[in-house]
Amino acid sequence: MLVVKNLTKSFNSPSGKVTALNDVSLSIKTGEFASIIGKSGSGKSTLLSMLGALDVPTSGSIDVDDIDIAKLSEHKQTSYRAKQIGFVFQHYNLIPNLSALQNVMLALEFGGTPARLRKGRAAQLLSDVGIDEDQQMRKPSRLSGGQQQRVAIARALANHPAIILADEPTGNLDSETGQKIFDLLHDLSRSENTTIIAVTHDMDIAGKTDRTFILKDGKITTK
Amino acid sequence: MNVVTRGIKNALRSPIRSGAIILMLAISIGLVLAMLVARSSVEAKINSVKATSGTLVTISPAGVNGFAGGGNPLTSDQVAKISTTAHITSSVSSLSDQLGTSDTNLTSSLELGSFGARQQRFDSSSAPSLPAGDTTGSTDTARPAPTPRISVTGTTDPNSVSATGGTLTISSGASIDGSSSSNVALVGTDLATKNSLKVGSTFTAYGQTITVSGIFSSGNTFLDSGIIMPLKTVQTLTSQAGAVSSVKATVDSSDNVSSTVSALKTSLGSAADITSEAEQAAASVSSLQSISSLALAGVIGATIAGAIIVLLAMIMVVRERRREIGVIKAIGGTNSKVIVQFMSEALTLTIIGAIVGLGLGVLVSGPMTTSLVQNSQSNTSSTTDATGPRGGAGFVRAFRGGINQIGSNLTQVTASVTPQTFLIAGGLTLLIAIIGSAIPAWFIARVRPAEVLRTE
Repeated sequence: MLVVKNLTKSFNSPSGKVTALNDVSLSIKTGEFASIIGKSGSGKSTLLSMLGALDVPTSGSIDVDDIDIAKLSEHKQTSYRAKQIGFVFQHYNLIPNLSALQNVMLALEFGGTPARLRKGRAAQLLSDVGIDEDQQMRKPSRLSGGQQQRVAIARALANHPAIILADEPTGNLDSETGQKIFDLLHDLSRSENTTIIAVTHDMDIAGKTDRTFILKDGKITTK
Repeated sequence: MNVVTRGIKNALRSPIRSGAIILMLAISIGLVLAMLVARSSVEAKINSVKATSGTLVTISPAGVNGFAGGGNPLTSDQVAKISTTAHITSSVSSLSDQLGTSDTNLTSSLELGSFGARQQRFDSSSAPSLPAGDTTGSTDTARPAPTPRISVTGTTDPNSVSATGGTLTISSGASIDGSSSSNVALVGTDLATKNSLKVGSTFTAYGQTITVSGIFSSGNTFLDSGIIMPLKTVQTLTSQAGAVSSVKATVDSSDNVSSTVSALKTSLGSAADITSEAEQAAASVSSLQSISSLALAGVIGATIAGAIIVLLAMIMVVRERRREIGVIKAIGGTNSKVIVQFMSEALTLTIIGAIVGLGLGVLVSGPMTTSLVQNSQSNTSSTTDATGPRGGAGFVRAFRGGINQIGSNLTQVTASVTPQTFLIAGGLTLLIAIIGSAIPAWFIARVRPAEVLRTE
C-alpha cells in the first residue's frame, strides 16, 4: 500500500520560488497499475522522483507499507531504491558497456543477491521478458529500442520490488512496440502482484490502467 | 563481475581516448623515474666524491714549502696528534731531504740550468757570499761550482709521492715498505739511467750503502730524478729522529674537512701550515647538488603533471557519464560503490601508464643522467681552473690529483635503476591515481540520481 499525504516540493530558481508539487495526496493499493498523466512541467517527473526516493519532498509524507520513505537517511534511501523500487526510464538508461545480462546482474548485485546466483536469475528474468539467450550477451547498442526496454524491465524486476516506477516507458517506441511493452508491464502487475506507477502522456495507455491520476500545475485530480 | 572489474573494463571502454591518456601518463611517469634515477645516482656520486676527493689535508711545518723556506720539522708528538684527530682516517708522513755531491756517489740526472743556478746562488758551506766590491778572493775557491742535487723523500707510503695522486708506477723491481727502517730505496727512472742502477744495485748515501728495491716512473722529470725511502730510514740517516716535513691526512668526508682543519689549527697552533682542497671539493659537489635538486624538482613536477592528467581525464569521464552515474545510484548503487568503480578505472589507467612509463624511464634515464652530468662537468672544470694552482710542488701535485679525481668522478656517474627507485616511483604513481581521482569522486558524490528522470 502506497499512501502519499500532503506532498509539496518547491525549488528556488533564478525567477523565484517554484512549487512543482502542491499538496498532493493519493493512495495506491498493492498490485495496482496506476498511471499519471499531465503536460510538460506539470510535476510528473518530480512526483516520480519523490516516490522513488530519488529526491526528498519539502513537506508531506510518502508511506510505503507504513514506512515514511521521505524521512529515511540517504543510505537507507539507497537501500530502499535497490530493494523496493524498480525503475523503467523513457531512454532505457542501460549501462552502455555492459551486456544485457550484466545490466540485470548489476541490479541484483545492488539488491544483495549472492554472486553465484546472479547469472541464473538474470538469465531467467531476461527470458521472462522475451530476450533470448543470444541477445542476452549483446550490449545495449546492439539491441532495438523495444528490446532495450525489455532489458530495463527485467532489471527493474530483479529484486522483487514492491513498486515499479515507469517514466514514459513507451515514449521512445513506436505504437506497436509500445503496446507490447505496456502489455508486458500489465501482465507483471498481475502475475507478480507488483504495484506499477507509470507516467505517460499516451491517453490510450493511460485508459487501460487500473487508475489514472491527472497532474495539473502541481495539483492532482483523480479521473 | 564486481565493482573493481567494472572499473577496469570501463578504463578500456574507449581505446583511442584511453590510449592517449595512458601515453600522457606514461611520459610523466617515465620522467618521474628518470628523474628519480638521476637523483639517486647523483646523490650516490656526491657521497662518493665527498668521501674520496677534496678530503686531503696537507700539514707542513710553519714556513716550509717543498725545499724552500725555513723552520723546524714536525715532531713525532705532533704527527701523533694529527693521526688521532677526529674524522682523520689515515695519514701519510714524509721527510724530504737533498743529497749533495759530498753525501752520495750518485750523479743527479737533472741539469742545473739557470733556474737551479739561481736557487743555489747563496749556497756555500765554507764562506758567506762576498760583499760587493771585494776583489781580494776568488769566487771559484770560496764558492764551489753549484751542482744539481738529488731529492730524497722518506715516506710512510711510497704511493703518496705519485704525481697523479694514484698508485706509483714501479717499472721494475718491487715497491718498498714505508714502515720499515732498512736501507732500501726506490730510484726514479732518470736517476737510475744516469747512474746505471738496476734492481739489486747499491749506492752510497749519508755514508751508508743503500740497496735499490725498485725503479719507478712517474712521468714527472723532477720526481724521476729522485729517491724514495722509508720514512724511518731517512730520519735515521739524517739524524732527525721523529722529524717529518709534511703530513698528508685523509678526512672521512669532504663535509668534515673545514672542521678538521680548524681542529688541527687549534691542536698544532702556529707550528704548522695547513692546506686543504675543501673549496675545490665543495665546487665539484655543489654542481652535482644542483643537478640533484633539479632532479628533485623534476620528480615533483612530473608527479604533479601526472596527477593533473589523471585528474582532468577523470573529470572528463565523470562529466561524460553523469547520467550513467545517476542510473547506477537510482537502481541502488551507493556513492562508495560508484566512487570505487571510478577509482579503479583511474588506477587501471595509471597502472598501465606506469608500466609503459617505467619501461620508458628505464630507457631514457641512462642517457639523461649522463647528459645532465656532462653539462655540469664542463662548468666545473672552467670554474676550478680559474682558481689556479698556488703553493709548492707538493701542493700542486695534490691539487692536480684532486682535480683529476673530481673530473673522473663526474663522468662516472652511472644511471642505475635500483629496486628502491622503482618502489618510490610506484608509490608516486599511486599518489597520482589517488589525487587524480579524489576530486572526480567528489563530483560523483554530488550527482543526484533524480537527474536521470530528466527526459531531454
